[in-house]
Amino acid sequence: MLKKLITPWTAWLAFLGILLLTGLVAGIFVFWKGLSITNLTDLVPWGLWITMDLSAIALAAGAFSLCAAVHLMGLKRYEPIARTATFVGLIGYTMAMLALVLDIGRPDRFWKALVYWNTHSLLWEVTIAIMLYTTVLVFETMPIFARFEWLRHRFPKLTTRMEHIHHYAPILAIIGLGLSSMHQSSLGAAYGIIKGRPFWFKPEMSVLFMLSAIVGGIALTLLASMLASRLTPKAKVNDALIERVSRFVGWLLIGYFYFRVWDALSMSYTYDPGRSEGLQLMTKGPLAFNFWIVELLLGMIVPMTLLLYRPTRTNRFCRMIALFLIATGVVAFRWDINISGFLVVMPYLPGQAIGYTSYRPSLIEILTGSAIIAYGLIAFSLGVKYLRVVDHSLIEQTQETVTEQSGEAVPV
Amino acid sequence: MTKPNINRREFLKLTAVGVAVAAGTRAVASTEASSDTPKGKHQWAMVIDQSKCIGCGYCTLACQAHNDINPELQWNTVNEVGMVGEKHVFLPRPCLHCEKAPCVEVCPVQATYYRDDGIVMMDYERCIGCRYCEVACPYQARSFNWKAFEGENPMVPEWGYPEVERRPRGVVEKCSFCYQRIDRGLERGLTPGLDQDATPACVVVCPVGARLFGDLNDPESNVSKALRENPSYRLRENLGTEPRVYYLPAVAKKEA
Repeated sequence: MLKKLITPWTAWLAFLGILLLTGLVAGIFVFWKGLSITNLTDLVPWGLWITMDLSAIALAAGAFSLCAAVHLMGLKRYEPIARTATFVGLIGYTMAMLALVLDIGRPDRFWKALVYWNTHSLLWEVTIAIMLYTTVLVFETMPIFARFEWLRHRFPKLTTRMEHIHHYAPILAIIGLGLSSMHQSSLGAAYGIIKGRPFWFKPEMSVLFMLSAIVGGIALTLLASMLASRLTPKAKVNDALIERVSRFVGWLLIGYFYFRVWDALSMSYTYDPGRSEGLQLMTKGPLAFNFWIVELLLGMIVPMTLLLYRPTRTNRFCRMIALFLIATGVVAFRWDINISGFLVVMPYLPGQAIGYTSYRPSLIEILTGSAIIAYGLIAFSLGVKYLRVVDHSLIEQTQETVTEQSGEAVPV
Repeated sequence: MTKPNINRREFLKLTAVGVAVAAGTRAVASTEASSDTPKGKHQWAMVIDQSKCIGCGYCTLACQAHNDINPELQWNTVNEVGMVGEKHVFLPRPCLHCEKAPCVEVCPVQATYYRDDGIVMMDYERCIGCRYCEVACPYQARSFNWKAFEGENPMVPEWGYPEVERRPRGVVEKCSFCYQRIDRGLERGLTPGLDQDATPACVVVCPVGARLFGDLNDPESNVSKALRENPSYRLRENLGTEPRVYYLPAVAKKEA
């Protein structure tokens, strides 16, 4: 009896469940005791949670970019991947919202941004766009939720309606593209407009955030699909499709690499007190490993090579490694940008030298953070199992738009 | 620096209008009112004379009492900035009440805003505690309530009595130029800067008269006069924030 219960599936869920519960308890502590139990300070008011928030939104960007590709650019054959991406997107945005609820001092007043508009504020714009786009994602994923067997038996009419939303996919894709281009860039601009901190104060921030989000978002969707197809027969992927998109990601990565390196390089000659110090932290200081190794070498150069060199790209293991490294690199980018801007303390006193501070997330921040990740993994696992989120054969059966190039679906 | 701002504002306005239909126009209209710093009858400003300041820190203590501040936070800090000859030079820093305040620009809910008289105010009922204003403020003039402030205020009654409500946990707070003293004083026909009851507590308590407070719109106010007669500077002026706190440097005084 017990042996039957302990399958890899239940063990996986139990593991994530424990993380989730621990984080839940930690979260209750945060609401009870307040943010004083974090390691955040007035000098570093944004830390691990903000990085998670930014990363979750960035890695959710596969949804809008692939939906735009499929429904607006007419690359219909990639629709099965876009389907997975929308689901990953919804998970990402809800993860970001969870992180935000933890992070703000008065979560009970979250709704105020809807009522009191400050159209000057990047954070206001981001909040509104995220709420609207999450709504779009809910609509976009309705046909996916309509796959749920229990729902189909219980409310057949409802699920038919939910599936019908699929016909509005192009319109949703347009709205999604608009909203995402705005807030993905605005998240960067939220840092880019801070004139008191020269390390951030530059227009490139929005471009970098947008580009890295597209690269990382698509990479994560592909990785999740491949990983799922290896672990469960419920997930069926068309490897030829994934391989083609991976190649595209490889090229995109060159663009991102160019902008990231050029941005860092240009900081070395546009001297401004605070900017060069931030660059020093990133290239020689405590963030040097993150910047050179995690972001540039492992996050860009290695995966770029693996994805653009045909023998490694067609090797599924190498491809998965590359996709994983890309996603990690994007998270490291978000961490580096956020934290190096804070660690350099700009003096407001005349003639005073630039100071430095430090930040290391507290246990409570880490526990709640891993619970949010666990939630994402649980949601995706359930989606794979019950909603057939990763099933490239699904759309090929129901739709005739798939062209002959897409090949056979390969259950792995 | 201002041009892209205007473009962005225009752009966001358009976007906002597009999205606004449901939420009505009132919210947008109120944004308009606060975005272009309105000029009221009075324009309050503070002048701090560094040649007089002895760094005793009474200003900080009086501030803590009158505004009922958690002892772990400071709205007004006193920093030693160097020596002029034999004398130590200090620089006290309240909120600078910038005319173009980065904090007001970034607050997602307009919880911090300009009053007509130039004071940068906080609405503690509206603040959601996102701390973006803290990130944006170039002067570290803002403090977040990481903890609830419970129990007695150690500065009371020695340094004064609380005149405003204590802020709850989870919101950002800062110096308000003691708006409560100004407003109540004006109601009673007093002149802020001259009458003690209408003047910020830090100015009143200063034992050496290093702080002056008054109306920039009044050419005869003590701040207008001090700025006319002395060289002065403001903090991080290159950022274009136009602070309303001016400093008279210790060096210049000595030479004069």
